[in-house]
Amino acid sequence: MTNAQRALLGLALVASLAAAALAVPADQKTIVIDPGHGGLDVGARGKFGNLEKTVDLAISLKLKALIEQNMAYRVLLTRDKDIDASLENRAALANNNDAVVFISIHANGSFRTATGAETFYTSLTDMDEQTRKLAYLENNSSQLETRTADDAKDAVKMILWDMAQAAFIKQSARLAEAIQRELPALLTIEGRPSRSLAVENRGVKQARFKVLTGVACPAVLVEVAFMSNPEEEQKLIDEAFQMSVAQAIYRGLVGYLQAVGAKPPAPAPVPAPAP
Amino acid sequence: MKSEKTWLVAALVIILAVLVVVFFQSGAREVIRKSPPRTDAASAGEPGAPPDPDAKPTRKVSVFFVRPADGLLSPEEREIPASDSLIQETEAFLAELIKGPAGDLAPALPAETKLGRVYVTKDGTVYVDFSRELAEKHPSGTAAEISTVYAVVDGLAYNFKAVKKVFILVDGEERETLAGHIALDRPFSPDYSFLAKK
Repeated sequence: MTNAQRALLGLALVASLAAAALAVPADQKTIVIDPGHGGLDVGARGKFGNLEKTVDLAISLKLKALIEQNMAYRVLLTRDKDIDASLENRAALANNNDAVVFISIHANGSFRTATGAETFYTSLTDMDEQTRKLAYLENNSSQLETRTADDAKDAVKMILWDMAQAAFIKQSARLAEAIQRELPALLTIEGRPSRSLAVENRGVKQARFKVLTGVACPAVLVEVAFMSNPEEEQKLIDEAFQMSVAQAIYRGLVGYLQAVGAKPPAPAPVPAPAP
Repeated sequence: MKSEKTWLVAALVIILAVLVVVFFQSGAREVIRKSPPRTDAASAGEPGAPPDPDAKPTRKVSVFFVRPADGLLSPEEREIPASDSLIQETEAFLAELIKGPAGDLAPALPAETKLGRVYVTKDGTVYVDFSRELAEKHPSGTAAEISTVYAVVDGLAYNFKAVKKVFILVDGEERETLAGHIALDRPFSPDYSFLAKK
């Protein structure tokens, strides 16, 4: 992407942020779930012909339902059907709605038969570190906010949109830890542990994911299991497995939100009205 | 009045022309060492070397491939022709990486990938240009993309001290992601956490 395109995108995003801010009901906090791929982009392909995009969406829909049943959050999906969505628009959905958390759901692919679940948060380059310092400055200096001209503020915002995630890297690490902790233990069907659904723990890792770099809130990408491994492909298309994955991610999310002192889950099974 | 306007327009055009020239010339001082056109695919021959084919010096390199069990990168030792030119040595290294593993390891790059040019900047950033097959024939998936990226990045940094960062280009251009996940829009520093512990 050229700088001019970046600049245009930045402007567009800032403009839409302003528009979206008006539309959001007061105090209604948003969680964004991002089912990987979609449309022409099928993601990883299993040996039996199953497609990653389908599994990603199925798990995401289950996770959305779980959150909405148990917590007073609004849940937005970056796609709720089998359509293409650009990586930038996925990040923009989170930013435009002031999301508190962004969770991207994927199924893994390798050159051979690797197995297991892993959770990623983004890694920073030197350039990102500079952005991070800038973000720190922006977040911690109210004087900067009042002193700079509007144009300068826009310029700062544009740089931030390009690597917004840099400012949230520590929270993202905590969120990744909280979710990954639940993933290998997830494997219960109706309360009973299920050996057949178990996946190996590959741990929390860092890598530079395009979809995460522009997200301005704690953001992780969960690789549930390997579509490229025939055994795990069979698990991935199993509704019970998808449900237990969604439950594990949900538990991790709740643990994270409680740890950072966010609003605890509402006791009622139906979405509680915003206070 | 009218001629004044004409002069003004002419002056602006001249200023613009000067700016255009300055814009295109300003990069000229940046030193980029370009690899010479390679004579053959193996890039083994050294045109200026003394004509003694038997005593050609070689050096050992560790080329990283995918360990099937866990997807981590594991080394195979290879010999490449030694050279004073970092570019020739890195090209020979990358040719071995594309050639694929000889043992039980899995390849880290699609077999159809071809190596384009290699560039080295003064600050130790290596630009490696691969053919489009690197992305188009890629199996896709986070683990596979990480294998590919760090087989290149860690491999170069591990074997060549002068290499500090690696920018991966596909078909001569910067790419948003390799195959949907890992961003290729910035140079990578090595990350040895993706290498298997011995």
